[in-house]
Amino acid sequence: MPHVFEVSELTRSIKDAVESEFPFVWVRGQVVNLSRPGSGHVYFALRDANASLTVVWFRGAQGGKMLADGGRYDPLTGEVYEDSLSDVLADGMEVMVAGRLTVYAPRGVYQLVAEVVQEVGAGKLWLEFEALKKDLAAKGYFEAARKRPLPHHPTRVAVITAPTGAAIRDFIRIGRERGYGAAVRIYPTLVQGDAAPMGIVRAILRAVADDWAEILVLLRGGGSLEDLWAFNTVEVAKAVFASPLPVLTGVGHEVDVTIADMVADVRAATPSHAAQLLWPERTQLIQRLDDLDMAVRRAMERLLAVRQRDLAVLARGLSWLSPVRRLMRLEDAFDGMQMRLGRAAETWTGGLSRTMDGFLQRFSRRFGPESLDGRQEAVARRAEHLETVLKFYIASQENRLELAAARLTGLDPKGPLARGYSLAVVSRTGKFLRREGDVRPGDNLDIMVYEGHVRATVTDGSSEGGESA
Amino acid sequence: MSVKEESFEKALERLERIAARLEAGDVPLEKGVALYKEGMELVAACRKRLEAARMEIALAGEDGSPRPFDVEAVEAGGAADSIGEKTRDS
Repeated sequence: MPHVFEVSELTRSIKDAVESEFPFVWVRGQVVNLSRPGSGHVYFALRDANASLTVVWFRGAQGGKMLADGGRYDPLTGEVYEDSLSDVLADGMEVMVAGRLTVYAPRGVYQLVAEVVQEVGAGKLWLEFEALKKDLAAKGYFEAARKRPLPHHPTRVAVITAPTGAAIRDFIRIGRERGYGAAVRIYPTLVQGDAAPMGIVRAILRAVADDWAEILVLLRGGGSLEDLWAFNTVEVAKAVFASPLPVLTGVGHEVDVTIADMVADVRAATPSHAAQLLWPERTQLIQRLDDLDMAVRRAMERLLAVRQRDLAVLARGLSWLSPVRRLMRLEDAFDGMQMRLGRAAETWTGGLSRTMDGFLQRFSRRFGPESLDGRQEAVARRAEHLETVLKFYIASQENRLELAAARLTGLDPKGPLARGYSLAVVSRTGKFLRREGDVRPGDNLDIMVYEGHVRATVTDGSSEGGESA
Repeated sequence: MSVKEESFEKALERLERIAARLEAGDVPLEKGVALYKEGMELVAACRKRLEAARMEIALAGEDGSPRPFDVEAVEAGGAADSIGEKTRDS
């Protein structure tokens, strides 16, 4: 049983096949069944002797936007159209239509969505275009092998374009926000009309002669095939081909591919796109710089951490080797050795003493009946005894001394005074009064009593002519 | 500006090499510090360069000498006033 399609499914498959097979085509034919509904879109069919093709020309593709006065201008170039083909298009006209083939599913028809519609006058230009393209291709103008890459972030850019066109403004507006700064030198030229091809060639030659720029950029805003024609001339193609500098083109809209585009080293779809191809987004540069900044910082931190660990290890090693530590270790060693020496000395002298003791013992055994110790003990015993005797003797002598002192106390001349006796001294002789005869009347006496002295005079003495006391 | 016109990319490349060398970790400390210092200087110079980044626009004169070109004035003139591209052979 073969696969049975749903209608939508089959239509979708056809649509995919048609749209991928004919993404962009040029079709020539006669306009029939033209209609202009209020939406502004234009519908017609292209017909030749044997077939017809439905065409829809949407308002947005009809070459420009409406101005207040009803005119139109190209939103990219700012170019004002004097009259648009969509306004003058009529049944029976011979036209060439460029666009995409698509399938309109609700009605099950395939149709051409027009991007560009040109009268057959322009169609002749297109034939010229094809002829030139064929010729130049044969001469190797489009060889991929001879195409040079764009310089990386050019800082000196020669732009060949109309200085007042939208193309240069778009290019600058985009370029300003990109990269890290660049100089743009505009080589002004007409980019449209009979004088344009030679103008473009001269501008290219001047830019090359100035020997300043790193790259040439050919710019022109969108327009009809006729408008862009200067870029399809053999003169411009040759100048681009001969340029010693790389050439970047940004001509027309995305769908417009001129001969100059094909000869150029790199083709940008539009002037804005040309700026995008030349310079990276500044935010990307900032981000890359930030990344590198962080990478360097992090790496340095890690390096420092590693080195700090190394340093700690080395510091420990170094402190072990430091002079102070060495001194301490030497002191320890010295102390140890001193102790060993001391022990060795003790051991040695101990040995000597033991030898000596042994010798003495042998000596005493040989020459004395008693041991030296025995004699020492005897001496000690005698000394003890002597000490006891001496103590006793000293004690007895002390006793005698005390007794003598007591007796001496009784001989003290002052002792009887206390008991009421008194001593009288004859002042004349200075002698103690012992006998009656020692004094004569009138002699003065100094009488010493227990406490103090009394002075007296003798009034009566001795019996033989003396006076009594 | 310490980073010359053409050397911005070189500065970034140099920074990448510096980061790689520091990340490898086998540099002597003094060299590491020197690399780090150089790296930070490059970062600062590049940052300054990006902050100051602008597009200089000149118009090449017929005699080959460039003269200042004020694209703002052209923009202010309005899109419809484009003259360079209005020359059509109708």
